[in-house]
Amino acid sequence: MDILTAMRQTRIFFDGAMGTMLQDAGLPAGRLPDLWCLEQPEQVKAVHAAYLRAGSRILKTNTFGANGYKLGPCGVTPGQVAAAAVDIARRAIAESGADAYIALDTGPTGKLLKPYGDLEFEDAVSLFAELMEAGAGAGADCVLIETMSDTYELKAAVLAAKEHTRLPVFATLILDETGRLLTGGDIPSAVALLEGLGVDALGFNCGMGPAQMASLAQELLEYASTPVIVSPNAGLPRTEAGVTVFDVSPEAFAGEMAKLASGVHLLGGCCGTTPAHIASMIKACRDIPLPAVTEKKRLLISSYGGAVVFDGDPVIIGERINPTGKKRLQQALREEDMDFILREGLSQQDAGAQVLDVNVGLPGLDEKALLCKTVQALQSVTALPLQLDTSDPHAMEAALRLYNGKPLLNSVTGKQESLDALLPLVKKYGGGLICLTLDEDGIPETAEGRVAIAGRIAQAAEAHGIPRRELLMDALTLPVSAGGDNGSVTLEALRRIKAELGLKTVLGVSNVSFGLPRRETVNTSFFTLALNAGLDGAIINPMSEAMMGAYSAFLAVTGRDLQCARYLSRYGGEPAVQTAPPPSELTLKQAIVRGLREQAAALAKQAAGQGDVMAVIQAALVPALDAVGSGFEQGKVFLPQLLMSAEAAKAAFDALKDYLPPQESVRGPDIILATVKGDIHDIGKNIVKVLLENYRFHVIDLGKDVPPEVIVRQAVDRDVKLVGLSALMTTTAPYMAETIRQLAAAKPDCRVMVGGAVLTQEYADAIGAHCYSRDAMGAVHYAQTLFRR
Amino acid sequence: MTADKGEIARYLGYGSAVPDPRVAERILFCLNALEAVTPRYVSRNMPLDGLAFHSADLERHLFGCRHVFLFAATLGAQADTLLRRWAAADMSLAVVGQACAAAVLEDYCDQCMERLTETLPEGQFLRPRYSPGYGDFSLDFQRPLLDLLDAGRRLGLSLTEGGMLVPAKSVTAVIGITADGSACRLHKCARCSKTDCPFRKE
Repeated sequence: MDILTAMRQTRIFFDGAMGTMLQDAGLPAGRLPDLWCLEQPEQVKAVHAAYLRAGSRILKTNTFGANGYKLGPCGVTPGQVAAAAVDIARRAIAESGADAYIALDTGPTGKLLKPYGDLEFEDAVSLFAELMEAGAGAGADCVLIETMSDTYELKAAVLAAKEHTRLPVFATLILDETGRLLTGGDIPSAVALLEGLGVDALGFNCGMGPAQMASLAQELLEYASTPVIVSPNAGLPRTEAGVTVFDVSPEAFAGEMAKLASGVHLLGGCCGTTPAHIASMIKACRDIPLPAVTEKKRLLISSYGGAVVFDGDPVIIGERINPTGKKRLQQALREEDMDFILREGLSQQDAGAQVLDVNVGLPGLDEKALLCKTVQALQSVTALPLQLDTSDPHAMEAALRLYNGKPLLNSVTGKQESLDALLPLVKKYGGGLICLTLDEDGIPETAEGRVAIAGRIAQAAEAHGIPRRELLMDALTLPVSAGGDNGSVTLEALRRIKAELGLKTVLGVSNVSFGLPRRETVNTSFFTLALNAGLDGAIINPMSEAMMGAYSAFLAVTGRDLQCARYLSRYGGEPAVQTAPPPSELTLKQAIVRGLREQAAALAKQAAGQGDVMAVIQAALVPALDAVGSGFEQGKVFLPQLLMSAEAAKAAFDALKDYLPPQESVRGPDIILATVKGDIHDIGKNIVKVLLENYRFHVIDLGKDVPPEVIVRQAVDRDVKLVGLSALMTTTAPYMAETIRQLAAAKPDCRVMVGGAVLTQEYADAIGAHCYSRDAMGAVHYAQTLFRR
Repeated sequence: MTADKGEIARYLGYGSAVPDPRVAERILFCLNALEAVTPRYVSRNMPLDGLAFHSADLERHLFGCRHVFLFAATLGAQADTLLRRWAAADMSLAVVGQACAAAVLEDYCDQCMERLTETLPEGQFLRPRYSPGYGDFSLDFQRPLLDLLDAGRRLGLSLTEGGMLVPAKSVTAVIGITADGSACRLHKCARCSKTDCPFRKE
């Protein structure tokens, strides 16, 4: 009988701790326990045997840290350790005569993934794959991914297990007392991710004792539609004379586990638990009937930091990151100006968006690469879940794979080709799926026709093993200017999809007003009607005060906003106090000097409307920047003020750009900036960047932790004459020297300026830098001198 | 939050000057946002004779100590996300946020040390924190320090290939335990041998 069948028929129990047991048997502190699979196999087998005698029927192999990163320095491979570990467990089972299963134990890599650390997602997948392939080959019965505190690493591990083995996959997380992962995720977000990836059981281990875990297990059961695992420690760890100890006795452990067992399929123990704990627990819990697993109705989507639940209150999906009809965004995408795109995302978040749609499709651009880059940039600054919006299935899969969480996918249609492309992706990676109710014959004119397509898509999804809760049906908004009943057909289809099919709905609202004046008036009215018809997700522009107002009002008048608290927090306060003088009393130059971003943008726009844009730049922007820059150098203006002015100048320039005649180019010479390999602290580089841009240099920002070869290749390919390098640490400064050496060989006419906390003029001279700059203004002066501007 | 606003201004290069109201407002904004992060620490009391630091400066610093606390603290991944977010939104916010996060971390470490002091018997004191990278105490000691503290599992701390602690706003340290209270009240700059540091306080 396989383990999945067995665990649903009868209570089978995991074992307890391995590492702390081996330490009791003499493993030195700090020594990797996994090595004992090769060095002391009998000791490892003795631990397994003790747990089998205690009644465990699932043994975790001694492979928690068996990955290439941790084992590398010890001179052994994950494959060797995994094969030995599975063999030891199998021998222990054979000798005991018990009917037991082997779980290939997989712990975290010990490295943090990007953007927190420097491990690439796919490298994490490979690290896990090495262990899992070997463990599966050696005959493990399932993969247990455990003690995970980062959803991104968890996703890499589950994908590795799914792609490199055919074994059932169990996954357990380590949470803090408040129920959060170390990287900020919560329980619903973990459920969203893991169920989206199709694990066979999920739960918690380590971190705390059984009593603390009980309430968190309750929350897990509220969201999970999958069997649950709970493996606590024998209490919270405590050090006594340099030794870690755990306080919960076997009897107390068993008592607490019995309290939570009724909802949980698989029970076991983690750090500090012993065969005595496991024996007591089994005695106390074995007769408690197994729970029934209930399918939940909510759609959960997630980011690294939290979940959005489609469960009643309509969800606002921000539509602004979409280049259709947006010149400035198109330009940003062509230049891969991520800062602009991130600001578009963050401003929607501030305006109340709960999900961000991401569409970067433009003719002539590599959509797959650009979508991946944009998704990674967005998920490094915002915890809002994303909605991946592309018609290219390859771009969709690549972004879906890299996404840290469970996103929405926009979209599938009723066309067979579309269903064939999208449904397998949702099945593999997980995701809420937006379904357009159109098919090979186009958009049905009647509600009837759209409902029928919705039904067919739902059937096709279910045939792929995708539950109906994962679907959001889009009944499609057509302009009322093209047909008087277009609005009512959509609303009727929406109502019937909900009532007759029990499916959730989503709409892109603003198309309704296409071709009409005062579109917002039409949009808000239609939006309110759609909300009233039961809309679950609204794809709108959250920067529109009218739309967000309609949303707030809808929640208040339908009793979804208790005591109108949200409405009041939005509109109930006093009008904001104006601390700065209104734009009319300020000149553009003053606004920049004082670092007033909004005013500077407004004044620039005003000035450009009245006259020559180049003259505005010469008369206001340049003198303002010079004044602030020299104030900084004289110690009268401090760094935060310098940067406030820089941001104001940037906003002013952005506003002026729209007024520049197309043939007029104010783009200055290219300068490459990079933080060198090994270094992940890039604030200094970013400060230099914003100032160089103020002085109209065109900065090619290669980011942080950039290998020398990448910098050289870019400098050569783009014929760049100046490269700026930053390094923060003594340990990474040697990469600066190496980069300069390679640049000198490959592109002798390229100058290099360097800066960073640990650098000195002497060091810069020694490594052959052409300029050492102690602050950002120094970099600007050097660039100006070099390009004689 | 009890972070020292004077320290924040000093990190921002103000020296003895006072930030103007709009910068002060940003400092408050960032400190307020940083309230949402969950700082964590882990410590381990160990006898000194089992530990080899290979650092003359640290040995001097630990003179007369028989035990030490190994210590690690972090503001966690959420702080890094906030800092990246500020860097994307507005560089002035980013530098203010960096300074605030550094001060919040220092303040948190001070609080942790107070808690650790409470666990000591009467008449025992803590020396100031001493971190890898100070004086001749090699950064190579980060790895064993993290391993001995199980800081990966307990705090989510790890090292990059370049030897940097991540999440970025993190501290590791060795803290001497001593019966001699006289050397325990030094200002933190006094424990550092980088005498040409622009931020040094005498």
